[in-house]
Amino acid sequence: MTIDRVSGAFLVFVGLFVVWERRVLPLGSTSHPGPGYFPLLLAVLLIILGAILIARGKDAKKIRSVSWSEAPHAVAILGCCLFVFLFMEKIGYRLTLLLVLGFLFGVMERIKPWLTLVLTFGFSLGTFWLFDSLLRVPLPRGGWGF
Amino acid sequence: METTFQNLVLGFSTVFTPTNMLYSLVGCLIGTMVGVLPGVGPLAGISILLPTTFGLDTTSAIILLAGIYYGAMYGGSTTSILMRIPGEAASVMTCIDGYAMARKGRAGPALAIAAFGSYIAGTLSVVGLMFLAPPLARFALGFGPPEYVCLLICGLVVLSYMTGGSIVKNLSMISFGLMGGMIGIDQMSGYFRFSYGITALGDGIGLVPVAVGLFGISEILATAGSPDIREVLKPRFRDLLPSKQEFRDSIGPIGRGTVLGFLIGIIPGSAHIISTFVSYALERKISKHPERFGNGAIEGVAGPESANNAASEGALVPLLALGVPTGPVPAVLLAALMVHGITPGPLFIKEQPVVFWGLIASMYIGNLMLLLLNLPMVGIFVNLLRVPYRILYPTILLFCVVGVYAVNSSMVDVGIMGVMGLLGYLLRKMDFETAPLVLGVILAPIIEFSFRQALAMSGGSYAIFVERPISAFFLVLALIMILLGLKPLIFRKGDWRDRLNEAEKGCDAP
Repeated sequence: MTIDRVSGAFLVFVGLFVVWERRVLPLGSTSHPGPGYFPLLLAVLLIILGAILIARGKDAKKIRSVSWSEAPHAVAILGCCLFVFLFMEKIGYRLTLLLVLGFLFGVMERIKPWLTLVLTFGFSLGTFWLFDSLLRVPLPRGGWGF
Repeated sequence: METTFQNLVLGFSTVFTPTNMLYSLVGCLIGTMVGVLPGVGPLAGISILLPTTFGLDTTSAIILLAGIYYGAMYGGSTTSILMRIPGEAASVMTCIDGYAMARKGRAGPALAIAAFGSYIAGTLSVVGLMFLAPPLARFALGFGPPEYVCLLICGLVVLSYMTGGSIVKNLSMISFGLMGGMIGIDQMSGYFRFSYGITALGDGIGLVPVAVGLFGISEILATAGSPDIREVLKPRFRDLLPSKQEFRDSIGPIGRGTVLGFLIGIIPGSAHIISTFVSYALERKISKHPERFGNGAIEGVAGPESANNAASEGALVPLLALGVPTGPVPAVLLAALMVHGITPGPLFIKEQPVVFWGLIASMYIGNLMLLLLNLPMVGIFVNLLRVPYRILYPTILLFCVVGVYAVNSSMVDVGIMGVMGLLGYLLRKMDFETAPLVLGVILAPIIEFSFRQALAMSGGSYAIFVERPISAFFLVLALIMILLGLKPLIFRKGDWRDRLNEAEKGCDAP
């Protein structure tokens, strides 16, 4: 299996998904196109382009040859993004970033504890002061007002 | 001509206030840092720092953001010359001869010529922008919906050709981006589309989370954990001034790079990158000693560095005059302008002369500031390169989160950023370019609106797009680009875009 064939199949799937989801949106007519008209055109175009990629993808790079050496780090970083998404408004910006930065500096990168503490507290509290207090860009505070 | 100079005086009177001068300086300094740090391009830099401008008045905010934009072009050369790592994609060609010069103990002159060339190119390009944008805007006032649709389609197709790689993949990214731009309330009928009950998606997925996710987060995902192999060559500052011969050898390349860069910058696509490639190839072609290229030829630094600065300012012509961004960075600038209540387009220069001419004047001053400040401060910027990446990337992640959240105070935007980061990471693995996707997202509402208006005008006849001469011209141009892009697929033979990709890969691996 090649990368072009996998990605082509994904594009065809997205196109078909949009065609299916579009059914709740009126198509209108060519003289008065409705909200579903343009998405349908794009979905058809995406299906065609995906099909071309599948058809011509025989000689592309093999999916097995793609290197995933950085994947453990990538998963950890995406996990941090998910954590921020789920908890930042609940526990506040400062506490969330303390935990996320502490994890990345201390656990993932194994930086010396004292430096981890300095960087974690410095960045999470410092950026809160810079953006929220100085630049008046409101950042979330948790239930404890922190 | 007289009106232009009157307007320029207006611009300088706007900029010559302590506050705006300070913002121009801060923008240039941040831009240089953004350019110096590998992995933080101008796009992520502008997106992340956009919230810091919310409290500023429009003119100051635009001056600050523009400073980051062209400051990054200056900064990119430092890492290319001292580390053979392009701090910014447009500095790829500078790696070749800039690093070779540094190896020979001539890092100082290489940095000086890069800065001087950038200053000349930047300043002359602002002159071009000043004279070209207003008449182009007047011409575009005659555009109706069919012309706009065809112009935008043409721009996207040209972008997909010029970006490099497979045109089929690039066109699919554009379609994918346009599809992403359909999310939210349909502005003509009021229907919620593809929102799945999430009210925050009513205004669409937003350019800032998309851009930060695709360019900032995906870069972190792809590079975190890689070993820090960073040999930073120390420039000898007492040798900062180029020799007379080096100076003479640089004048021609700077002039040619400026003209080439400005003209290529107007064309959609990765213009600032392509312009460096074209400039390098041209200088090598016309040189009496082409064998010097690759071994520390000053022309190989002067030409490309001038070209990328000129291109970055050339790209502002279609953005400001037509409201059409030609690449992802101008697209983010467009979003930034819109956040501040300004919609670039044919009426922008007429209705917002203070902002437009203030921006022009700030660019003259900013380019001078960059020249005067950057060379003495190059040692400080070099120290930034010594910060290990394992400390840098969590910090960049933090700024991505703050930058995205602060635009709308929305956690949904943070979620979109994460999803786009993952998508961008996977797309990289599958050899897709993400720039066309971003352009698709931002242009989707304008294209769809104009498309539906055009069909309504014609009573449902698609012939309207080929019957009107300007729209027909743009469609023919788009068709030519598609055919050119398909040529390598049919004949299975690489073209200049493949050579550009090879050069980029070669520079990433010292």
